[in-house]
Amino acid sequence: MQNRAEATIAGIAQTRSFQKSGMTSKEEIFRSLVTEHQEMVINTCYRFVFNREDAEDLAQDVFVEVFRSLDQFREESKLSTWIYRIAVTKSLDHLRRIKRVKRFGTLKRIIGVEDPSAELPAPFSENPAEALAENERAKILQDALNRLPDSQKAAFLLSKQDGFSNQEIADILKTSVSAVESLIHRAKKNLHDRLYTYYQQH
Amino acid sequence: MKQDYMMKHNRENIECEVGKTMQLLDELKPLEVDHHFRVRLMQRVDREFGEGSKKGRSGFSRYFDVRLALMALLLVINLSTALLSIKSNNTQFSAGISELLDNMGDDYTTQEFAYYDQTATQPVDTGVDTILTQ
Repeated sequence: MQNRAEATIAGIAQTRSFQKSGMTSKEEIFRSLVTEHQEMVINTCYRFVFNREDAEDLAQDVFVEVFRSLDQFREESKLSTWIYRIAVTKSLDHLRRIKRVKRFGTLKRIIGVEDPSAELPAPFSENPAEALAENERAKILQDALNRLPDSQKAAFLLSKQDGFSNQEIADILKTSVSAVESLIHRAKKNLHDRLYTYYQQH
Repeated sequence: MKQDYMMKHNRENIECEVGKTMQLLDELKPLEVDHHFRVRLMQRVDREFGEGSKKGRSGFSRYFDVRLALMALLLVINLSTALLSIKSNNTQFSAGISELLDNMGDDYTTQEFAYYDQTATQPVDTGVDTILTQ
């Protein structure tokens, strides 16, 4: 098993980008990966959770998983694809966990234990009045997004982020480009319908 | 006609709100990476894989072991409670049976049931002498 891990690291080190820099050890390769992908990973997570603190915590979890599993990377996809796939999985797991906690949290809010403002996403505007309105709108959007199926949610949010083509999204989600386009289309329609129903009722 | 206009106006308002809400995703400004992020990450990796790997145990496996130990303890407590409960029920059942048997035994040794305990010296009042002397 040790030999296979060493062979995997050696294989990664022989890819063009690492060969140029002369990196051979796992730690060196890992540091390089963090430098190259940290911004993209944090922003991918941010698209899912709308919260800077949670996004950074999730990104940390992603890179820890990358370090843990780097020995077992099979080169079936690009390293970057593999890293972003971990980021999407961790983000979706986090949202599922929050959903479970929220069910219990509703009771805590009723009895006055929990601070409801802790759940609001980071404000988009510095103007307090605008920030409050935007916070409310962001919460509505986040609720509607969380009701989408995971596949639609992931495809749609990745498509909204600069730097991901439909082909890259298909590689991350292990599906075809046409499937990604279909998922994005259905996600937009479902999101629109949910938001329409919400604003019709409120 | 006025109602149609109101409905159309209402629909337009709703669509406007929906559009503004969905646009938030496009307006989301990308985060700039905090320079402490990488420092914290490397510290965490050293903590979980540096010292831990030397001792042969990661933080995750230590956490898993504690959970496993707690589960085993709960299982032992539950089984012990169940066994004690069953034993207590059996003891009560046995005591009940013994008491019942004792009570039955007592019934059959009372005077009312002692048909053959009377001796010849004891007078037997049958009522016949009374009839004969009248």
